[in-house]
Amino acid sequence: MNLGITATQYLEQVKNGSFTAEEFMAKTMERIRKVEGSIHAYISLNDDAISQAKQIDKKLKAKEKVGSCLGMPISIKDNICTKGMKTTCASKMLENFVAPYDATVVFNLKSQDAIITGKTNLDEFAMGISTEFSYFGPSRNPWNIDYVPGGSSGGSAVSVSALECIASLGSDTGGSVRNPASFCSVVGLKPTYGLVSRYGLISYANSIEQVGPIARTVEDTAFILNIISGIDSHDNTTIDKGKVDYTKELDAGVKGKRIGIISEMTGIGVDKQVASATSKAISKLQSLGAECSEVSLDSVKYSVATYYTIAATEAGSNLARYDNIRYGFDFDVEGFEFNAYISKARKNFGPEVTRRMILGAFVPSAGYVGKYFYKALKVRSKIKYEIEEAFKKFDLLISPTVPILPFKIGEKIDDPLSLYLLDINTIVANLSGIPAISIPYEISHGLPIGIQLFADLAKEQTLLQAAYALEKTTNLPGAPI
Amino acid sequence: MVKREEIVHAANLIRIDLEDHAKYIEQIEKILNYFDILDEASGESEVIVQEASLEKLRDDKHIPYDEELIKQLKNYKGTFVKAPKMI
Amino acid sequence: MTKIGLEIHCQLTKLESKLFCSCKADYRNFETNRNICPVCIGLPGSLPLLNKKAVEKAAMIAMALGCKTPQKIAFFRKNYFYPDLPKNFQITQYNAFGPTSIGYDGNVLIENKEIRIRRIQLEEDPGRIVYEGTSEKTQLTLIDYNRAGTPLVEIVTEPDFETPKQVRLFLNVLADLVENLGVSDPSLEGALRVDGNISIDKGNRVEIKNVGSFRDIEKALHFEITRQQSLAEREIPIPAETRHWDEARKITVSARSKEEEQDYRYFLEADIPWVLIESSVIDKLKKNMPESISSKKERYIKKYGIPLQVAEVLSSDKFYSDLFEQAHNEKNAKEIANIITTDLKGFADTKEQREQLKLTPKHLSDLAEAVMNNIITRNSGKLALQEIVKTGKSLSEIISSLDLGHVDDESSLSKIIDDVFSEEEKAVSEAKSNPDTINYLVGKVMQKTKGKANPALTLDIIKKKLDSK
Repeated sequence: MNLGITATQYLEQVKNGSFTAEEFMAKTMERIRKVEGSIHAYISLNDDAISQAKQIDKKLKAKEKVGSCLGMPISIKDNICTKGMKTTCASKMLENFVAPYDATVVFNLKSQDAIITGKTNLDEFAMGISTEFSYFGPSRNPWNIDYVPGGSSGGSAVSVSALECIASLGSDTGGSVRNPASFCSVVGLKPTYGLVSRYGLISYANSIEQVGPIARTVEDTAFILNIISGIDSHDNTTIDKGKVDYTKELDAGVKGKRIGIISEMTGIGVDKQVASATSKAISKLQSLGAECSEVSLDSVKYSVATYYTIAATEAGSNLARYDNIRYGFDFDVEGFEFNAYISKARKNFGPEVTRRMILGAFVPSAGYVGKYFYKALKVRSKIKYEIEEAFKKFDLLISPTVPILPFKIGEKIDDPLSLYLLDINTIVANLSGIPAISIPYEISHGLPIGIQLFADLAKEQTLLQAAYALEKTTNLPGAPI
Repeated sequence: MVKREEIVHAANLIRIDLEDHAKYIEQIEKILNYFDILDEASGESEVIVQEASLEKLRDDKHIPYDEELIKQLKNYKGTFVKAPKMI
Repeated sequence: MTKIGLEIHCQLTKLESKLFCSCKADYRNFETNRNICPVCIGLPGSLPLLNKKAVEKAAMIAMALGCKTPQKIAFFRKNYFYPDLPKNFQITQYNAFGPTSIGYDGNVLIENKEIRIRRIQLEEDPGRIVYEGTSEKTQLTLIDYNRAGTPLVEIVTEPDFETPKQVRLFLNVLADLVENLGVSDPSLEGALRVDGNISIDKGNRVEIKNVGSFRDIEKALHFEITRQQSLAEREIPIPAETRHWDEARKITVSARSKEEEQDYRYFLEADIPWVLIESSVIDKLKKNMPESISSKKERYIKKYGIPLQVAEVLSSDKFYSDLFEQAHNEKNAKEIANIITTDLKGFADTKEQREQLKLTPKHLSDLAEAVMNNIITRNSGKLALQEIVKTGKSLSEIISSLDLGHVDDESSLSKIIDDVFSEEEKAVSEAKSNPDTINYLVGKVMQKTKGKANPALTLDIIKKKLDSK
C-alpha cells in the first residue's frame, strides 16, 4: 500500500478492493506518528479516524450508499471550525476553543464521507508566510527540515507533501495556500472570492480570504473543489455559479490560449533558479500551443502596501472579539477592571498578530485614515481594473509563485517587512478576487519551486486545464522524508 | 514621519499593552514608512462591492438554536456570562 | 434660542427574528442566555445574515417619515470594546461616505413646526449588562446576550426642536406611527429609547443619555435648559459634554467623558453585500403600507362625519382603529366611533385588558344597530357593553338576560308612570309649577325601568298626565 497515491487512485483502489479504508487510514496514522516529530504538520489529531474508516468499510460491504470520498484522509487547517474538535488558530487566545458547529467546507467533506485526520499548523490567525508564528512552534519543510514550509497554511502543505493525508484544506488571504504549496512541492488553489463558503473559517481579512484545497495533483485539487464550492445560505458573500464539475475536460490543453507573463513579477528581485524555472515553464507552455507574451501590471508595486493596509484593518476588527471573556484560556475575571483585564489577556497574542492589529488600528484611525486606509481602497480598485484590462487580452497570467527559494527557519523572522514583500506575486489575486493556482515545477538544490497561474473571475476551469497541461510536463519526485 | 505616541494610541484603541514591546514600535514605524508608497499611486474612488438583491436575503423566521450554547462559553455564572467590573 | 435634537432607537419587536440571525427578535420572555446562537454571540467563524423583513420594515419607517431611500444600502462596523458587544464592534449604517443608510433627508410636522430627519439606519442592539457586588473586590459585570442582535432602527433628527413639549408631541406621534405600521410595540419596555442633545443661545451642545421613559425626556430637557440658563446668567461657559439622566434624583449628571476619546474607525462590513433597493420594491412596500394615522383621521372626518376629537383618538390608537375598521359600515360608523372612544374607556386601556377583551367587531355593530334603531336606549347600551366586555355573550342574550329591551308601549309605560306618581306625590304637585321637577319624575321612571323606558315617550306621557290633573 503506497501512501503517495492520488485521490483518484485511492478511490479506484478502495473500490476494487486493493485495500480497505480502515487499512489505509491505519497506515496514514502510522505515518503521522513516524514523521510528526521532525515536521510538526499537525496541532491535533482525530482519535476516531480509524474507527470512522471502519464504518465506511462496513457500509461499502453492505452495498449501502457511501459519499464520493470513500473514507479519504483529509487534513484541515486549524482556523477552520470542526465540530467537537478544537480549533485554535495556532493561538493561545483560542487554546481551548471547541466550535459547536462544522464549517460548511468541513460539513461538505464529511457529507461525502471524507475523514478528518486532524487539524494542521498555521501562522497564528493565518498571519504569516512561514508558519513560524504558531503558538505551538513552527512546521518544517519535508524537503529539508531546517527550512520553512511557507505559510500561513504550512501545516496543510506539509501534511500533503509528507504523505500524512491525501489532501488538505487551507486558507489563502495573501498567498497562504499557494506559497506553502510552492515551498512544499504540492498543488494549491485559491478559488475566486465567493466561490467557496467562509462560514466556519475564522476571519482574518474577510473581504479578501478564501478556503482553498491543497493536494498532490491538479486533478485531486479539482476533485476537492467540486465538494467544497457552491452557494451557501450561511454565507451571504458566496456566489452562485451553478453546478460545475471541475474535473471534467481537465485535459483540454492550452492550444491557442493567450498567456500573459507579468513583467513586474519576473524581473528584478527574483532568485536566479526561480527565474530560470519560470522561463522553462513558459517555453513548455509555448510548445504545447499557448501564445505567451509580456504584460505589465503597474499597480503590482503598490499591492503589498495596499494589501497589508486593508488586511490589517480587517484583522484588527475581526480579532477584537478575542477578549478572553466568552472563550479563550484560563484567566479569571474576578478582581480586574474591564479594560485592564482585556489588555492583559491580549498580551498572549504572538508578535506578528500584535503588529498587524496595531497597524490595523492605526491606518483607519482619525487623522490617518485618508492617507492610508481610504487610499488603499482606491488603489485596490485600480488593481482590479488593471487585472480586468489584462484579461481582455489574455486568458491566463503566469508568474513564479514566490520570488525566492524556501529559506531557513529563523532567517527572516526579525524583519517583518521583508516577509511581507514575499507576498508580492500572490497578493494581486486576493485583492482582485480572481482565482490562482500554484503547481510544483522544479526541485533546485533540494528545494521546491512552484509556478503560479491566474485566470479571470470564476474561470476555474480554464485555470485548472492550463495547470493540468503544465503538470503533465513534469515528473517530480516525492518529498525525501 | 509618524510619532511614537500615535502608535501607542493606536495600540490602546485595540487594547494592546505596549509596555514590554518597544521593539514593536520600531518595526511598525518601518512598515508605515513603507506604506507611504501609496502616496504615489492613483486610484478611482469606487470601492469594490458585492451586491445582492433584497430577494437573496434571509427570511424572517424564528429558528431556535438547539444546543445549550451558554454552557460552552467559558465564563458563566448561573446563566450569565461573567466579565470584569466596569468603572 | 433653544435647539434640541433627538436620537431615537426603536426595536423592531414585531419581527420574528433578529437582524443577523434566526434567534427571536423579542427577547423578553426567555431565560438568561437562552435566546442566543453562534452568530449573535459572535463565535469565531460565524457570519451575519441580514433579515429581509427588517430592511422592508425599516424602509417603511423611512417612507412614513418622509425620507429618501438610496438605491443601494450598506452596512459598516463601529469598532469599540464593551462587555455587551460580543464582537467588540457593532454592525450599523454610516453616511459619511454618502447616503447608504435606509433613510435620509426626511421631515415631520409637529404643530406646524418642521422637524427634519437627518437619517434613519438599521443596526443591532447589544446585550444587557447587570452589575453585581458592592465592594471593589467583589464587583463583577454579568452579561445576558439575549438582546444582542435585536433589530434596531435609529432615527436622528436635526436640532430643530425648540421646546421640550414639541419633543414629547413628536415622540407620541412616532410611537403611534411605529405601532400603526405594525413594526414595533412601543409599550414593551425598552422598545423605544431616546437620547437628546440640547444647546441654548448658540452655546455648546450637551448630550443627554440614559433617559428611561418618554415622560422623563421632557423632564430631563427642562432640567437641562434651566441648568444651562443659570450658567449663562452667571456668564459661566457651558461645557460641551455628555450627561446622564439620574432617574432617582431627577437631575442630569456629567458622565465621565470616556466617550469623547472614541475613534470608531468605521469601515464597510464585508460579510454583508450591498443590498439593492429597486424602485419596484419601494413601490410595492408603499402600496402595502398600512394607512397612515393622519390619512385615517381625515377619512373618518370627511367620509363618516365623525367629530374631530373622536377621529383623533380613534385614528391614533391602532387597537381602536383596527376594531373600528372591522366593525363599521357607512351608516353606523359614527355610532361605533362614539362607543369605542367614550363607552369603552376603562375597559380596554391597558395591554392586559386588550388581550383579555371578549368584545368582537360583531358585538359593536350589533350594539350600534340596536341603539340606532331604538331597540335599547343609549344608557342600556352602556350597560350591555360592560357585560359584553366581561362575558363575550351575544347582544341578544344580554338584552334578554338583563332585561334591557325598551319599554316602548304606551300602556305599560303609563302604568309605571302612575306608580311613580303615587310614590312621589310631592314632586307631582311641584311639577305643575316647576318644569325642572318633571325631569326628576322622568328620572324616577328611568330608575324603575332600569333605563329601559323610552325617554321621549315618558316625558310626553308625564306631561299629558300632569296637564290632565
